[in-house]
Amino acid sequence: MRVLIIIPAYNEAENIVQVVKHMMEEAPQYDYLVINDGSTDSTLDLCRRENFHYLDLPINMGIGGAVQAGYVYARKCDYDIAVQMDGDGQHDIAYLDRLLAPILSGEADVVIGSRFLEKEGFQSSVSRRMGINILSALIWLTTGKRIMDVTSGYRAVNKMFIKIYSEDYPMDYPEPEAIVAAIMHLGRVKEVPVQMRAREGGTSSITFKKSVYYMIKVTLAILICRMGYGIRRAKREGTEKNA
Amino acid sequence: MIPATLRITLISAVICYFIVILYFLKQKALNLKYTLLWLVAGVVMGILVAVPELLMLLIHIFGIQDNMNGLFIFAIGFMIMILLSLTSIASRQNRKIRTLTQELAILDKRVRELEQETETGK
Repeated sequence: MRVLIIIPAYNEAENIVQVVKHMMEEAPQYDYLVINDGSTDSTLDLCRRENFHYLDLPINMGIGGAVQAGYVYARKCDYDIAVQMDGDGQHDIAYLDRLLAPILSGEADVVIGSRFLEKEGFQSSVSRRMGINILSALIWLTTGKRIMDVTSGYRAVNKMFIKIYSEDYPMDYPEPEAIVAAIMHLGRVKEVPVQMRAREGGTSSITFKKSVYYMIKVTLAILICRMGYGIRRAKREGTEKNA
Repeated sequence: MIPATLRITLISAVICYFIVILYFLKQKALNLKYTLLWLVAGVVMGILVAVPELLMLLIHIFGIQDNMNGLFIFAIGFMIMILLSLTSIASRQNRKIRTLTQELAILDKRVRELEQETETGK
């Protein structure tokens, strides 16, 4: 099984070297790919100096476009599993095996690292948790699937979803929408408990000012995404219609 | 009824509109594909101004109070359609740019790898 760890990085000069080096020590058997999303700081120079594997997007495309670039690369290079992990040090490589296990055993297509299953580690602020709960409830209402940590960017997907996501991945604030897309493609989505850390440096991409816009945009995106598939869900790839 | 002087003004305005669009098309400053809606709008406006009876009929059908209001509503309707088509064009281009950027980044990585290979091969 060939595994690619996709690490999107936008202006992560403070964290990226530490994150990648830590990852190379802990999980040297897996390939990784840093996606420099048109950073304006020295992220690119650091990747070059450290001789990391990286993609350099010449313009900033946002997290969705950056992650999708990773999926396109994973598909081209025929990887079996792709893992998404933030470049800011929030996600601990120690939980990678937990993320991979359900895919390796064939019981899930998309695995989400959730900080709310065991409620340990960094739990985010009260207001953010409230927002996440609202979105989680919305996804539950529209798809019937209960996912706790819908904004978690720590995920692993199998080959089927490398293909699906490389063809179509949501933009702007893609995490909750990508879950809806996965469920509607009849993907088996599973959450596994992980602990996350508060950011080590830099600033989060979602400031308080943007959070209202975030909630409106993501709510609409989930509804539109759900509508796009209609009552009949997309056919699961590789399965017969009557299966 | 639309006053005669106003009709002359409107007709000359529509003619100017066509001259400008055709000029831009000739200069290749406009892509014909994206200009079709503008041309259709111009033709419809031209017909409505040239044949006021048709305008009256439409105004009556839609229950609009005043003749001039009718013209404005048709003009605004076309503008909204054109703006919507512009947004759709921008979204489609956004998608294409995204694909190009991703492909470019992957090629850039490939070039770096090949460069390294040739350097170590020397």
